[in-house]
Amino acid sequence: MQGSQGRKRKLILREAPTIEQNPTEEDEFQSGLLDGILSQSESENDDDDNDESLDDENSEDQLDEEEEDELDSDEIPSEDEGESDSHQPTNGIGARKMAKEKHKSTLETDSATTQELGLDDRTDGSRRFDEGANYIITQDANGNERYIYRSIDPVYDSDDSDAPDNGNTIGNISLSFYDSYPHIGYDINGKKIQRPAKGEALDALLDSIDIPKGWTGLTDPATGKPLELNNEELEVLKKLTRNEVPVDGYDPYPEMIEYFTGKTEIMPLSAAPEPKRRFVPSKHEAKRVMKMVKAIREGRIQPYKAPTDEEQPETKGYDLWADEAPRPDHPMNIPAPKLSPPGYEESYHPPPEYLPDKAERAAWEAQDEEDREREYLPTDHDALRKVPGYDTFVKERFERCLDLYLAPRVRRSKLNIDPEALLPKLPSPDELRPFPTVCSVLFKGHKGGVRSVAIDPSGLFLASGGDDGAVMIWELRSGRQLYTVNIADEPVNVVKWRPSKDTMVLSAAAGEAIYLLAPFSIMSPEVENLSREVLDAGWGYAATSSTNGTSSVQKEPAAKWSRPESKLLDQGVLVKISVRAPVKAIDWHRRGDYFSTVSPKGQSSAVAIHTLSKHLTQLPFRRLKGLAQTAQFHPSKPIFFVATQHTIRSYDLSRQELIKILQPGARWISSFDVHPGGDNLIVGSYDRRLLWHDLDLSTRPYKTLRYHKKAIRAVKYHHGGLPLFADASDDGTVQIFHGKVVEDMMENATIVPLKVLKGHKVTDKSLGVFDVDWHPREPWCVSAGADGTCRLWC
Amino acid sequence: MSGDLEQPGPAQEQTSKIRIQFITRDTDHELPAEASAPILVATKFRRYALSTLINTLLDTPTPVPFEFLILGQFLRTSIEDFLTANGISAETTLTVEYVRALIPPLHVASFEHDSWVSAIDVLSGSSPASIWTNNSPGVPSGQEKILSGSDDGLLRIWNMSSEVEAISSVSHNNHITNAKFLSPTRVVSASFDRTIRLWKYESMPDFGPTSTLTPSVELYGHKASVDSIAVHAPSSRLLSASQDHTVGIWSSKKTDAPPAPQSLLPSSSNKRRKLNPNPNSVSQRGSLALMTGHTASVTSVSFAPNDPTVAYSSSLDHTLRTWDLATRTLVDTRTTAHALSCLTPLQDLGLVATGTDARSIILIDPRASATAVSALTLRGHTGTVWALSTDPSSAYGLASGALDSTVRIWDVRAARPGSGGIGAPEVECVYTIERESGRGRKKPVRGDEVKVFGIVWDGEVGVVSAGSDKRVQVNRSPQGVRDS
Repeated sequence: MQGSQGRKRKLILREAPTIEQNPTEEDEFQSGLLDGILSQSESENDDDDNDESLDDENSEDQLDEEEEDELDSDEIPSEDEGESDSHQPTNGIGARKMAKEKHKSTLETDSATTQELGLDDRTDGSRRFDEGANYIITQDANGNERYIYRSIDPVYDSDDSDAPDNGNTIGNISLSFYDSYPHIGYDINGKKIQRPAKGEALDALLDSIDIPKGWTGLTDPATGKPLELNNEELEVLKKLTRNEVPVDGYDPYPEMIEYFTGKTEIMPLSAAPEPKRRFVPSKHEAKRVMKMVKAIREGRIQPYKAPTDEEQPETKGYDLWADEAPRPDHPMNIPAPKLSPPGYEESYHPPPEYLPDKAERAAWEAQDEEDREREYLPTDHDALRKVPGYDTFVKERFERCLDLYLAPRVRRSKLNIDPEALLPKLPSPDELRPFPTVCSVLFKGHKGGVRSVAIDPSGLFLASGGDDGAVMIWELRSGRQLYTVNIADEPVNVVKWRPSKDTMVLSAAAGEAIYLLAPFSIMSPEVENLSREVLDAGWGYAATSSTNGTSSVQKEPAAKWSRPESKLLDQGVLVKISVRAPVKAIDWHRRGDYFSTVSPKGQSSAVAIHTLSKHLTQLPFRRLKGLAQTAQFHPSKPIFFVATQHTIRSYDLSRQELIKILQPGARWISSFDVHPGGDNLIVGSYDRRLLWHDLDLSTRPYKTLRYHKKAIRAVKYHHGGLPLFADASDDGTVQIFHGKVVEDMMENATIVPLKVLKGHKVTDKSLGVFDVDWHPREPWCVSAGADGTCRLWC
Repeated sequence: MSGDLEQPGPAQEQTSKIRIQFITRDTDHELPAEASAPILVATKFRRYALSTLINTLLDTPTPVPFEFLILGQFLRTSIEDFLTANGISAETTLTVEYVRALIPPLHVASFEHDSWVSAIDVLSGSSPASIWTNNSPGVPSGQEKILSGSDDGLLRIWNMSSEVEAISSVSHNNHITNAKFLSPTRVVSASFDRTIRLWKYESMPDFGPTSTLTPSVELYGHKASVDSIAVHAPSSRLLSASQDHTVGIWSSKKTDAPPAPQSLLPSSSNKRRKLNPNPNSVSQRGSLALMTGHTASVTSVSFAPNDPTVAYSSSLDHTLRTWDLATRTLVDTRTTAHALSCLTPLQDLGLVATGTDARSIILIDPRASATAVSALTLRGHTGTVWALSTDPSSAYGLASGALDSTVRIWDVRAARPGSGGIGAPEVECVYTIERESGRGRKKPVRGDEVKVFGIVWDGEVGVVSAGSDKRVQVNRSPQGVRDS
């Protein structure tokens, strides 16, 4: 109320000059009954709230005008004043100060008049104001009491839409006519309606940031201001869009007022006499009757005869399939399923074997009605006349009809996919024989696990290296232990035969040493001599070459070739090669002159290539990315494969360049083997995967086989022409696969898992099978287990 | 249908009969012509009743036990059960073949060695070595000798009372793979040390039961282990099969043999040789010929039973080859699907039985005219079949030793069509002889069983087998000696 009071005061001050013209108003002001005005002004304020900026801009002009003709403008300036004071304290302050000063000057004059007025009041004296009454009692000329009633305040609602005050008076013309003017029309007082500020950038941004309530995004075509709708208007719009009457309380179906009724009114609306036709027989009817009479005479219409019993039409059922002829089988025409003819069980006197015994009867009764195989129990009756009525006959027939009626007689083309058919067409393992199936020979002798096995090129002997530092040679087929030598105290990590048939040279690696053996006790003198020759050919070569000047360049030779101690020498261990780090893998070149060793821990000397004929060791890689795991020569081309933990790189040895980097995607490659054809490669990884790479296809595996529960330690192709490969895993199994590689480039390799060879025991350290090797010709493979045994599988 | 037959009263059931036509391939026990017609036999009869019936029909002085083969199966139940089990109508005429029963061989003795025993041979009255030497007095019953060669390189000769009569005076440098009696006084042995040695066996009754086994000739020629030898005393020829892919022909006469190739003689640098006490006391000889043709290790060799100029050899290269010894050429090659580890010819059938690494025995028709390579397959072993021997008393009997610690006795007459009608007919074994050493112990894991490396089926001694349990095991049927 404070604000309104203040405003009131101002109003008084400003409107003082009008009081003389309209004395009653002053009373109202004084009596504080300013509700209506305030409310009105509020309503206008409400309207103006919408465009405050407009007010601000106009305020100055309007004030100026106000000065000029105060009497004319009774409301707008006050509104503007009040508004600008209360709502826009910051905008246009200077202008407002000026306006206030002007007001002060008027205020002085105003106060003078009020003083006069006050005197007037006092002179009236007799005027009394009763707070409760709506009138003032004065004295009239006769001295009687005179009641002067106050004018009734209509108390218009603020949303009185009948008289929009700020309406544009330009009529129904497009606003575009005013495009060139600063205003957009004229109000009822003939004043220009200024064009609303077309949103400065900041305002537009502010508008976009917080959308005021009731914002529609539309522009009022009449005012050019943004159109805002209040709730009522929205409601009306909603109703209109719903095809409803927008006004509340409108009854679209009012009670009908019957102005004309069939009832005989006491006071009829019409006083016309009854027409004649009401008393004259109808000629039209006579005509119709005559027509009927004629028809009856002619016999066209028979007189009604009550129907007799015999003629009563039977309410018979319609046999849907009475005349159903057998039709050819068609998806759209499925014959109704026929009931099977009754059997012995349904007989009233069935053979005794059909009668249920007690248990069967109890079982039948215990069953749910839906689950019963048949809905009756065979019952024996001596004679047909003793057969009682079938109590569920109606129900059964009904259900039968229901079945027929409800059964969807549509042949549904069911998508019959045999889950077997979705599996890739793999030949059955039986067709892929021969492959190893059972353990044929067990080789026992190593203390501790057997790390590596190798079958010699002739296929007669098996070499094995174990944790006990022993290298043993066995007769493969009989399991007879032929040769044993303890070459080191460390475990023998790998044994490999030199690939040649005229010599028998075995290479074995234990710790940092590689030993070359010629186990002459199992060889004929000829072979023995050849083997010795091969092994001893290179003595001195390294020494002479090193003295020829390279020694000054090379600080330390990559490996030291020497004779082992005499004890080993007597047993046929002829050469010892000491390298810098423990050797984990050996692979011989097919010609038997070179062999590669891999010692994962020796960084720059991880991969070494040894030349047997020159007793020379070379380190092909200065620096190798990753930890080298194993390396292998290509079976026919001068290509060298090196496997690190994650990748397998192939290098061209003749051109000395990197050819390809295979990425099997394994976390840690344990071993790999190159197919004898040279275009495929299998990789075993410690993360239990066996990966088949087609070198022609991509650097990614062609197939991934996950069949092992634990790490795969070794993978090996059959190098004797059989399409087989095997892997050995820590879960104690060796798995045999059929892997056929076809010459045709268009055809992918066929890989079929064939057999899981179980037998090796998994040790406490959860180590299973360390190594696997194939017989050079037969479908036999040998596995080396952590349990200290080797097994021949065939 | 059978239900209808069962319906009639019990009186008929008792006398349910079946018409049986008895046949035999045994000429000794052919039924007289008047009894060869089909006979009505009660279906509840078992083997014993049928055997009695045949004995009655034959009118044999002493009862001969018979076995009955119906459709390649031995009758082990009553006829009725057999019919139901095989779905045979009782109304047909059943053809039943009767064969002389094989009495299950029982364990007689075991001769223990220090190491594995691979080579085994028997000298008895019916063994080839004694038959070839007709002029000698022969081996009286009870005086049979058993020759064994073991991994310690020594040959031993045992008498039937489990006593070692002789141990070879020198040892082979490596394990002995095969040994044979050439005659009652001569022994030949083959070893992994690439040599074949001829030994002189002299029993000296003056000095009690002991006798000597001294080397007479060392035969050099093979470049690798000699895995098998075959002997034919009348032509004084030896055959050898070696891991160097060759088949060697040797003469057992020192005078016939060419000198040994110097390159194959043990070099003097070899320390082992130095340890040998008297390296040069034994004459060294070479081979008459080394026949090449095999592409892998030759595992076994044998003379053709009817013609000593023909030899068969089996090899790991999957082939059985026929050699003509006169011209020393390869005659024929039969290729099978598996590596062959041993062979023995079946004289009367004209077949060669070969043991395979695929745990079966294949009967191969070696004739060039034969269309099918494999005539019969004998399945049952669970390990590589390492040795074969024929039944001395029957043309159809066969004994096999395998790496699965068993010796199996087969009758090739009990042949049934191959599985699924494919392949050669199959035979199941009649008896299985387990190793005595494994009796009462836990069954070993696959691959760890006793390996039977040698087997001889002798008419007198029985089935003698040697293996990796360091024993020679003798099994014999209770009646043992046959009346023939």
